[in-house]
Amino acid sequence: MKRRAFIQNGSALATGLMLAPLVPAQAGAGSADAVVQVRGASPYEITRRAVTELGGMKRFVSRGDLVMVKPNIGWNRTVEQGACTHPEVVRAVVEMALAAGARKVVVMDNTCHKAEDCYQRSGIAAAARQAGAEVRFSDESRLAVHDFRGEVLGRWPVFRDHLEADKFINVPVLKHHGSSGLTMAMKNLYGILGGNRGKLHRDMGENIADLAAGFRSHLVVVDAWRVLVRNGPVGGRLSDVEERRTVIASANIMHADVAAAALFGRDARQVESLQAASARRMGEIDIAKVPLRRLDA
Amino acid sequence: MDRKSGRRLQRLRILSQFLFLVLFFFLLARLAGGAAAPPAWAGLFFYLDPLFLWVGLLASPLLRPFLLALLPLLLTLLLGRFFCGWACPLGALHQFFTWLGARRRRRLPAVARAWLRPKYLLLAGLLAASLFTVQLLGWLDPFSLLTRSAATVVLPGGNALLQQALQAGPRPLYELGRRALLTVSQRSFLQAAGIGILFFALLLLNLRRRRFFCNSLCPLGALYGLLAKFSFLRLRINDACVKCNACAGGCTYQGGPYQDYLKSECLLCGNCLADCPAAAIDVAFAWPGRRQRPAVDLGRRRLLGAAGVGLAAAALPLASPSRQAVPHPFLRPPGALEEKEFLRRCIRCGACMQACPTNALQPALFQAGAEGLWTPVLVPQSGYCEYECHRCTQVCPTRAIARLSLGEKKQFKIGTAVIDRSLCYTYADGYNCAVCEEHCPVPEKAIRLREVEVETFRGRRRLVKQVYVVPDLCIGCGICESVCPRSDRPAIRVGAEEEQRQNPAG
Repeated sequence: MKRRAFIQNGSALATGLMLAPLVPAQAGAGSADAVVQVRGASPYEITRRAVTELGGMKRFVSRGDLVMVKPNIGWNRTVEQGACTHPEVVRAVVEMALAAGARKVVVMDNTCHKAEDCYQRSGIAAAARQAGAEVRFSDESRLAVHDFRGEVLGRWPVFRDHLEADKFINVPVLKHHGSSGLTMAMKNLYGILGGNRGKLHRDMGENIADLAAGFRSHLVVVDAWRVLVRNGPVGGRLSDVEERRTVIASANIMHADVAAAALFGRDARQVESLQAASARRMGEIDIAKVPLRRLDA
Repeated sequence: MDRKSGRRLQRLRILSQFLFLVLFFFLLARLAGGAAAPPAWAGLFFYLDPLFLWVGLLASPLLRPFLLALLPLLLTLLLGRFFCGWACPLGALHQFFTWLGARRRRRLPAVARAWLRPKYLLLAGLLAASLFTVQLLGWLDPFSLLTRSAATVVLPGGNALLQQALQAGPRPLYELGRRALLTVSQRSFLQAAGIGILFFALLLLNLRRRRFFCNSLCPLGALYGLLAKFSFLRLRINDACVKCNACAGGCTYQGGPYQDYLKSECLLCGNCLADCPAAAIDVAFAWPGRRQRPAVDLGRRRLLGAAGVGLAAAALPLASPSRQAVPHPFLRPPGALEEKEFLRRCIRCGACMQACPTNALQPALFQAGAEGLWTPVLVPQSGYCEYECHRCTQVCPTRAIARLSLGEKKQFKIGTAVIDRSLCYTYADGYNCAVCEEHCPVPEKAIRLREVEVETFRGRRRLVKQVYVVPDLCIGCGICESVCPRSDRPAIRVGAEEEQRQNPAG
């Protein structure tokens, strides 16, 4: 062994040993099904904490990866109105992905309101740019048909940017949703789709589950800092927003949603998309069986 | 004036035209884009337009910003048609196309005075009609015409062409171009064909006849021409003249100070000064005397005839069903005044369409009557009225769309949504859908869901969340209609039912 290699390996080992006590010891903390839920005083800090507790961003992002961060930027609403992902949560995720060695981080959504308005008013474009991400608008000319091979959802146009990314980080906001009850990580995947998405509101729960099963989210970070509890998904009235000061992270999209539903005060078994996900064996629908850790930061 | 000074003046004029054209497009860009409301000065060219001063005087209460148009009026009394020659952005475009044409056709026939006449008759007709509430000045006014054409044809068309061109190239170039030059979403306008054909035809006519629009059709040019007859500045041939008639060679109205000097038609372009080999043309101030050459012969009879035609033309729409106006198949922008006053004020400039971020405001064809051609209508299948936006109410130069604060606009009822139960999935097919309910921006939700047991077309009984509208809460923004996923016809549509239209007090 060359001296240089010996020193490098040795220092890496030493670093590993030093950090070892910081890695949570509980069983399942590093497993793909684990969920971490952190409550705290700053959306930025609790986001970092949640991902760290899950094993750190390096578990999900490799050096040189092209990373897609997909927040909910669907609406022309301010951060106080709780209709879009909190920009500080997005900033934390982008920073961590870059620190983990991502070659490039792209932030993008296919919005419901006019894209420029949503990107700007939500504060997400500015926060993502500040963190070093490329902020991109969905471009109709970049659609490719993807086969979800689902039970109801088959071939559907998806923006190529998402298919081309090495890693996909799903960063939804938890909020009320008129027809499907709640919108969380699985529903957030509507934002990778083009075409007449409204058609997918028929059998919505089934479509949402097919979407999540047919397109992998490598990491899910649910923003529940401000939760729109009524008149979602677009909201608008501040009296419909409750501060929950929480972020939920998991590599299992269904578990993230089950935990988010519980936080909202809803039994996952009453959420159509989670029933459908359960039928597809994507995870546990019973919150008691989900490996969930709740922390206060 | 010697040739060198003449050339310098000519170049100065071209520079001035270029700068005003740039200013025009800069202001046009300020109407659109950005989160902040456009500044009041974005409408500068309109406020400087004496034709719209007339519209502003007829409006009640009168529109004070248009008093600014007294400035070019007074300057015209002093200088003549400097505005047409030096400042008008549409004139600059016509000048450019004239220049293109002149390079190919060196010799042009001398002016046919009959070609100079129509603009005066048009002005007489349009002014007469406007007295009887049929106000159509905007169809041909240069700023209305240019704003409308640029907003609905040139800019969207240019964007589409550029997008196609960039897509053919390498991807990094496309990405760069898309970021730097293209709009995020392609805009489109329903009457672009008609507006575009008129615009480009007028530009191309310059290849046959110099500044055809300015000499023959422009009602504003006609107004300035009438005043220019009495202006102080004039060109005079001095004793050095060698009678070569070179001054007619570049003259915008094909006359020239030697052959056929018409103060009412002279745009002060300076071409004759630059072309004269003998320094035989002087620029002088002189008391407008009586011993002038005859100007364009209008003839009292012809002028009265034109006014009469204008009045008669006004009578047609006054008697048309659109003026009776109880049920009507179109929506107006938020803040639009009562239809009669709206039409009296609207100058068809399309500023509101340029300002509308969602492409919802569209130029009308004949749904608002023939006289309503190119007035703005809100077409939800094209776009929706953005809840957080009141931009169109901030840019209307004549306040045919009243100034509304964002708070006022959010309360303003454009119309009411109605569900077509024979089309809506939740009724006709027994499926859940609720896309319209999701998008409804009213915080209390004007579209709601109720769970009902229905029999599907397969004969199964199931629970469906059916959508319904709360008419009192609906503001008619049209987002529901714009997002309805049906491919044939939206199952929820906004009509003018209960639309809130009111005129300003006083």
